[in-house]
Order: sequence, then C-alpha cells, then structure tokens
Amino acid sequence: MTFGYLLRRLAAVLLVLFIVTFAVFAITMILPGNAAIMILGEYGTPESVAALERQLGLDRPWYVQYADWVGGVLRGDLGQSLRLSLPVSEVVGQAFWNSAVLAVTALVAVTVIAIPLGVVAAIRRGTAADLVIGLFAYIGASMPEFVTATLLLVFLAGPATGLLPAGGFVAPGESFAGFVSHVLLPAGTLGLILTAHISRQVRSEMSDVLASDYIRAARLKGLRERRVIRRHALPNSLAPAVAVISLDIGYLLGGIIVVEEIFAWPGLGRLLIYALENRDLPVIQAVTLLLATVYALSNLIADIVIALLDPRVRYA
Amino acid sequence: MPEILRSPTGIAGAVLLSLVAVAVLAGSFVAPYDPQAFHPATRLTGPSAAHWLGTDQFGRDLLSRLLNGAPSTIGFGLGATLLGVGAGTVIGVIAGTAGGWVDSVIMRVLDGLLAVPELLFTLLIVTILGGGMGQAMLAVALAFTPGMARIARSSVLSIRTREYVLAAVARGEPGCYIVLREVLPNALGPIIVEATIRVSFAIMIGATLGFLGLGAQPPSTEWGLMVAEGRQFMFRNPWVVAVPGVAIALAALGFNLFGDALRDSLDPRRSVRG
Amino acid sequence: MSGAGEPGTPVLEVASYSLSYRTPSGPLEALKDVDLTVERGHTLGLVGESGSGKSSLAWSIMRYLPDNAVENDGRLSLLGEDLRACSPAEILEIRGSRIAMVFQDPGTSLNPTLRLGEQLAEVLMRHQGLTQQQAWAEGEAALARTGIARPADMMRRFPHEASGGEKQRVVIATAFACNPELIVFDEPTTALDTITAQQILELFGRLREETGVAALYISHDLGLVSRVAQDVAVINRGEIVESGPCAEVFRAPRRPYTRALLEAVPRPDQWLGTAPPDPAAPALLTAEGIRVEYGARSWLGRLLNPPAEAFLGAKDVGFAVRPGELLGIVGESGSGKSTMAKVLSGLQDFDGRVGFEGRGFQRRRAFDRAYRRAVQIVFQHPDASLNPRQRISEILSRPLKLYDIVPPERRAARVGELLEQVRLPADFAGRYPHQLSGGEKQRVAIARAFAAEPAVVICDEITAALDVSVQASVARLLVDLQRETGTACVFITHDLNLVRQLAHRIGVMNRGELVDMFDTAEADAPERHPYTRALLGAMPVPAAPETTDPLKERSLP
Repeated sequence: MTFGYLLRRLAAVLLVLFIVTFAVFAITMILPGNAAIMILGEYGTPESVAALERQLGLDRPWYVQYADWVGGVLRGDLGQSLRLSLPVSEVVGQAFWNSAVLAVTALVAVTVIAIPLGVVAAIRRGTAADLVIGLFAYIGASMPEFVTATLLLVFLAGPATGLLPAGGFVAPGESFAGFVSHVLLPAGTLGLILTAHISRQVRSEMSDVLASDYIRAARLKGLRERRVIRRHALPNSLAPAVAVISLDIGYLLGGIIVVEEIFAWPGLGRLLIYALENRDLPVIQAVTLLLATVYALSNLIADIVIALLDPRVRYA
Repeated sequence: MPEILRSPTGIAGAVLLSLVAVAVLAGSFVAPYDPQAFHPATRLTGPSAAHWLGTDQFGRDLLSRLLNGAPSTIGFGLGATLLGVGAGTVIGVIAGTAGGWVDSVIMRVLDGLLAVPELLFTLLIVTILGGGMGQAMLAVALAFTPGMARIARSSVLSIRTREYVLAAVARGEPGCYIVLREVLPNALGPIIVEATIRVSFAIMIGATLGFLGLGAQPPSTEWGLMVAEGRQFMFRNPWVVAVPGVAIALAALGFNLFGDALRDSLDPRRSVRG
Repeated sequence: MSGAGEPGTPVLEVASYSLSYRTPSGPLEALKDVDLTVERGHTLGLVGESGSGKSSLAWSIMRYLPDNAVENDGRLSLLGEDLRACSPAEILEIRGSRIAMVFQDPGTSLNPTLRLGEQLAEVLMRHQGLTQQQAWAEGEAALARTGIARPADMMRRFPHEASGGEKQRVVIATAFACNPELIVFDEPTTALDTITAQQILELFGRLREETGVAALYISHDLGLVSRVAQDVAVINRGEIVESGPCAEVFRAPRRPYTRALLEAVPRPDQWLGTAPPDPAAPALLTAEGIRVEYGARSWLGRLLNPPAEAFLGAKDVGFAVRPGELLGIVGESGSGKSTMAKVLSGLQDFDGRVGFEGRGFQRRRAFDRAYRRAVQIVFQHPDASLNPRQRISEILSRPLKLYDIVPPERRAARVGELLEQVRLPADFAGRYPHQLSGGEKQRVAIARAFAAEPAVVICDEITAALDVSVQASVARLLVDLQRETGTACVFITHDLNLVRQLAHRIGVMNRGELVDMFDTAEADAPERHPYTRALLGAMPVPAAPETTDPLKERSLP
C-alpha cells in the first residue's frame, strides 16, 4: 500500500473521468436538436435559432466547446444551464445533496440489515431461516425498482391506507418528521432491492468462508462455535462484503434515477432526465461527471479498504 | 444437464421459464380477448369470471394484454442479451487470447466503460438513438458488452493455462485450432451462466425504459409500458400495475433461478467425495 | 479425566466400525467393519491410497461428520470411554485437549487474518482456562520446543510471513499444547518439500519421545510410515487389509495388496531402466546457458501495468541429453525444473541456446514444426492434461494428423495400436477423459506424446499426482516404451529414490540453478554437492520385503 500505488489509482480515475465526459460530450453533439431548438420550440425560425445558438455559444466547433468546458471545470465553474439560465453548479449542487441524502439513507439501512441477513443465512444454511431469506433475496433481485416502487405506493400511500405521502420532498431543516415520512418510500424502495442483492452475495461469500480448511481446523481445536464465527469467520468475510457493496453502488446510482422520477424527489436523477429531454448539455455533462466520479471514488475507497483488511497487503 | 433439474432452484427456474415460453410462443393465440378492445362497462375492475386478471382504465382485458406483451418484453431481454453477449464474448476472447499490449489496451478501455453505472450508460445511449424498442435493445446490448467482455476474458485466461492447451501449443498446433477447438468449448460455461442471469437484468432494464417512455411506445403492450400507463389509476385498481409488475418479476426470477442452478451444476467443487 | 481405565487400555480403539454416506446416487460405503487400536505411547501408521477411507476414519474419530453420514453400531473409544455416547458439548471439550489433529496443508489450515500466536493461544485459553497473557507465554514456550528460533517473534507473525515448515511447526505446537492423549496426523508432510518434511518428521519423533503421546499417523506413503510408526494398518476401499508391527508387516506381508504396495515403493537398488546409452554418441538435445525471467513485460505493458519484481526461474542452466538416455532432473518446487521443461518444449520464452540435432534455437519463436514434433511433453496432472470435451480417439489422432504420420485411412488403426502400446483396451478410443481413472488418463497422455514418434519425451512430474501403486506401473510403462522405441527421455521429479531406479544420469536443481550432475551409480559418492547430500539424507531408502540376505537389509529406526 504505497503512496505510488494510490497516485496511480487516482490517475486512473482521472483518466476514466476524462473518457466518460468526452464520450458524453460526443454523444450529445450527435443528438438531433440542441438546446436552442428546444428552448424556442415551435416558435423558432432558422434565424432566431441561429441567433440563440450564437448567444449560447453553440455555434463554436466541438473541440472548442469541450476544451472550454474542461477549463471551466478545473476552475470550479461548471457553466450555465442552457435551459434554466442559472449556474450549473447551483442547480446541480442542491440536487446532489438531495440525492446524497437518499443514497446514504438507503446504503446505511442496507448495510445494517443486509449483511447480518446474509451472515445468518450462511450460518443456518439449509434451515427454514436460510430458505426464507433466500426467497426474499431472489424475489427482491428480480423486481425492477419501478415495480417495487409502484407496489409500495399502492400498498402504503394509497388513499385507502394513506400511511405515507406518494412523493415529494421536505428538507430536514423544515420539518424532520416531514422529511422522514417523505424519504421512507424512496429509500425503502432502493433499500429493498439492494438488501436482496447484497444479502445473497454475503451469504455466498460467508458460506465459502465457513467451508474453508481453517474454519474446520478451528472447530477441531474444540473452540466454541461462537468464537469460530466471531473470531475466524466474520473477519474473513469482511473484505468480500465490502467488495460486494462497492459493486452494488453502480446499481444504486442507476436505481436513484428511476426512484427519484417516480417519487418526484428533486435529486440528480430527476435532473438528469429533465436535462436529457431538453438537451441541456452543461447539466448533462455535470451530472454525468458527478455520478461517474462518485462511482469511481467509491470503488477506489473500497479497494483500499479491502487491501487494508488483508494482512498480506497491510504489512507488506 | 438433467442434474440442474434436481435442485430446487433449477426446478423452480425451469417451471417459471416454461410458463414464460408458453406465454411468448402461444400467448397471442390463447388470449381470450383482443388486447386493444375496449369494454367500457367493466373498466378498472379486479379479477372476475369474465376477466381473470381484471381490466384497465379502458376496460381492456389485462390477461390478454399481458399475453400479448410477452413476446416484446421477453424478446427484448433475450435479444439485448444475445447481442451484448455476442459482442462481449468476441472482444473478451480477443483480449484473452492475444495477450500483450492488445489485452492491456482493451482492458483499460473496458475499465473506462465500466466506470459508468449501467443504467446511466443505457439512458445516455437511448437518448442519442431516440426512443423505441429497437434502439433500446441496442443500448442495453452496448451497456452489457464491457461486463461480458470482462467475464469472457477471464474465462479464456483461466482455460489458457490448462495443461491440455499447453500441450497443443507445445505440439505447434495452429492458433485458430487452439482457440476454436481447445479453448472456446471449455470457456463457454461461465459465459453461458452469466448470459442467462443477464437476461433477467435485460428484461428489467427494458421494462424500466418502457416505463420511462424511452423504450416501447404506445400502443405496445410491453409490460413496463403497461405499468407506466396504469400509474394514474393504480389507486383505483391496483391490478392495473400489479399484473404487469409481478409478471416482469416472475420472468426475471425464472432466468435468475435457472442461471444460478446452471452455475451450481458447472461448479467443479460440487463433486461427490468418496 | 485422562488416563482413566485399566493400565492396558488402548488409547484409541475402533471396533467393527462402518461408515457410509447418503448420496443422490445411493449409499457410498467409506469404511467397512474397521478394527484398529492405538496403544499408549505408540504410533499407528494408517496407510492407504486415495479413496481408501483413511480420511473418513479421522473425521469419525474427531466426530466431525457431515449430515449425510450414516454410522453403524461399531465402537469408537478413547481410553475406554465411548466417543459416540458423548454429547456435542462434551465432544467440544475433548477436541483440542484430549484428541488433537495436525492437518495436511498448513497454508490453508491456518487463518490468514489472525496472528499465529493467537491461533496457538486460543487453544490454551479454551481448554486450560489460561488468561491471554499466560496463554501467550505458554505458547511461546511450546513454539520453542518445536525448534523455532525466535518464538516471540513468530507468535506475532501472520501465516503468510512464515514458511511452510514454520507454519507446520506452529500447527504441531498447537496440537501438543494441551498435552492430549491422542494426536491424529493427516499427511502432515505431503505439502512440504523433502528437506523440510524430514525435519518435521524428526521433530515429531522427538516430541513423541518427550511426551509419550499416542498417535495415529495417516499417510499414503509406506516408506515414510516405516520411519515414524511402530505399528501399521493398511486400508483399501474402506477395509483394513492387514495390520501389525511395522517390522513384521514390511518384512513379510501376508496379503497381496500389501505386497503390491510395498513393491511399488521406489527402491534405488532396484534398477528398472534401460541399458545405458552410448557415451560416445553426440548429444541429441542440449540446453546452454538458459536464463528465464518471469515478470518481464513489453514496454506498453509496463506503461499500463507497472511491473512487479522480476523473478529468475532459471539461471544459466545447461545440460545435454544423449540418444536413448533417460536423464533425471530432481528438485523441489520452485527449483526451476518445470521451467526447464517448458523451455525445452517451446512453452516459455528464454535467453540462451537450445541445441537439437546440430541446429540451434535462441528464442522460443525459433522452434519449428520439426523440433516440436521431435520433442514432446507429458504433464503432471492427469485431469488437466486431456481436453474434457474430446474423445480419446480425437486426442490421439491430433498429433497423427498434425505431423502427417499416417494417412487418414490408417489413423483409427494407429490409435488402436497406440492404446495397446500403453496397455489400454482399444475400445477406450470412444471414451471421454472423465470416464478414465487418473492412471489411465496419464497413459493416454503418454500415448499422445509417443504418437508423434519423437526423439525426446519430457516428463514433468508425471507420477506425482498418482497413487503409489499406479506410479510404479506408469514409470515402468515409460521405460518399456523407451526400450521399444529408443526415445530419449528427460524425467523431472522431486522423488530421488524413484529417479535413481530409472535414470542413467541425474541433475539436481535448486533455486533456478543446476547444482549437480552425475551418473546414477555415483549418487552416494562423497564429491556430491551439499544440496544433493541433503536431499539424499532426507529420503532414506525404505526396507525391502522378504529379503533373505541380512546384509542387504537396510531398515531404519
């Protein structure tokens, strides 16, 4: 675990981000229509469209636009939203925090629930508990977010039950109770699916650990099962659990897009869909950059944590 | 192959898949009503003798619409996966067999592509190509390709070091013989397992795109689209969204279970100890 | 509680014990009516090949059986106490404190994320109620008794920071820590190299003398068992075939199976090889100044994937093979012998020169079709040597087709002839590899090599993964083929006794260098390299059965 290794990983992350944003840029350049056309809509004459394009800087060659954007990012300026006439950083910033709240809530709930579920299922392999957990995991992993979300809405937010609001957002500062009641369904949707994935994989990793030779050796030393699990099995399944969770972060980021759309949660996902519809290039770029960065960084952090957990690397 | 059917996951998966197959192949013929026919008198009702799964906001029979939408929903999943698996396998095999700088370059590019979360990737591509089932299928296939390429590559790499492959290299066998006759037949196992499980993802993503209006377009009876169209009425008749939603889940579940059973049956660690 | 019972009670008694496993394809019998006893202070060697049930017996004694195990009403008792009547809690008390186990592979039976000291101390804390500090101190003392140089330091290490021999000493120390009455050893030296294995065996002998513990020593190696045990029991397919004091059983085996096992143990004084080759003949295949570096990459590879440390698999290795000769190459794992096999068969890049029939090759890519046909290789693992998706007929006809050895219409017949040559029935041609046993697969691999009618066959540890009885027959087959075809052979192995039966000359490799090369007859000569002498010392010659000449008898303490 050297400083050089970290630097190389960070450089790789940067390279990846360049590739991603460049690809996104290229993609939106190919898109038929642009922001100018979108804004003016039916009222646009070729002259007014061209004028608006000049005003928005859309008539410059693509590489100039891209270089301009990159330069801006490095200065901390993400540009102006073409559609909303607001600085992108303002628009994206708030959305980022809202999404972060949702993601973190879901992730924390998942870690606290899914890992113990997976561990218990592995320890009690073949029993009724394992079967139930396994069933739940399979079903949960087969339901797309929008189905889960819709079903949850029907059962918990319908006029019949009316337990929870069907969508929308209340900031924790305004009303904590309001915030909680509004975050429950979207976070719950995300959490359900993630729990299904993660508990299943944790079960599989833990089963592998329990079948290993050193666990057998520990049991044959006469150690009590409690100690075998706590001191021998669990620490060795930590690293695979972290790996599993980091893989699912990609899934989480995708799920956020759908969940925010359904529950009208003003986060990055909802913003992205809006920006895609309106060809708002700077916003698309910024959101994609953010999401890709979060994903790449979380993978990097997970790799570092995994490496630190392995004494072979830690003490190399 | 029959061993798969001995495990409970295998049996459950096979049962679900058979149901799905029946729906896809025979659905349109078996459906009791025309999926687009309105029955205004019985709008938004639950299951009844006349309409086994209930009706939607226009009184259209949900069972018929479900059966009618099976081919497009499942077909999407299968098609997208086949395309993605095909492309990914070719790239992965090239990377795995060529080695050297070709492999390094391909790996870096794959790493870059894999840095984008799948759904985001798909959304971006679908937006370029425009909405519609064909475009969505292409988008999902493209999103699957890097992941499948990685798996194909690692499978090929692990077979390449097997001693029977080394024996062929030592003999001086021509390269294409080695790849086609020694490596590929033995490397396909993990690829097929992953492909089966990916079909379930493809079905889910396809339905999601349909739901977002970026995949299937009305008047298609694709299941995701059915959920989207039924959303406004879900509180008045939950069956409108529950029927297609559960159907999606069951189809995906079938492929998931079967794929897992396949993986278990291919796992060499499962040999019976003497 | 220990030491109870009358003075003559054996420590371990197994009586009329049977075990089978419930499987989807019917019950699988593992042990049939087994009787054995281990007396106080004695070591009983349990010898059997793979599938004989010897490991199942160990699990039965430790009461660590899977759910699908079915036992009969046979008896398992420890100093007269019925083990089967014990509750799970009682079994946990017994394990580690009254019966301990030493496993085969210290690399996998130690927890990679826990310090060695903790894995040793936890036994003491569990069974003797010591505190952490006391247990740690006691553990250090135990490690010192096993000959570890700096015990305090070793306690703090993780498994990956210790060598195979050191790890096994830790495992042994853990087993002896609570002064058990019985220790079960499951092939404890199989995963170690020869010299380390010898040290562990000496350690075992010393500790046994000091503590007077009874031991059940499980192994597949008769020769090894004769060095450590007083009594021996031979097990085959779940049945105890023969048992008794070692000296008796080895000198005069009663049952054919035992005799066959004894005869299969390699004895250097028993020459099996062919007539010596003509010393004047020019060398057929030469290796000159061979150097192999692992981890080297192309410049682009280095840019994208930073290089790990370079590692030299072979350093300036050179030797020659004469026509009709069998050259033995001996070394431990990591010595570079397999690297040389790969270099000579064109599988590994190298620096240096390989000479064949007057031509020279300086790079792997220089090897042409003629060379590759003339130099063939047979690998170690029978399961991996044959493509599982090809029938035997296809596997054997590949070389025939590639080198155009016989016209297409003759190929099927030739395949039959090849199978006959390796003593396999002709109808095996239609089978798939998984339908053959390990020994049979290895014969097919040998047939495949000889199908090309080569000048040299390289055998890379071809007997190492086989059972002892099968090893002998495969080795003899190889020599017969050599005699019939006049092919030269490079026989790579770690078994010095085996190679002394077959090879005309022997080369010894250590850490990538060829340290010694000699005629087989001069193996014992004093001018041998110290490493060769160490290897010889670590592999003593086992006793021969039924020798009438007392001068020839060389049994060991």
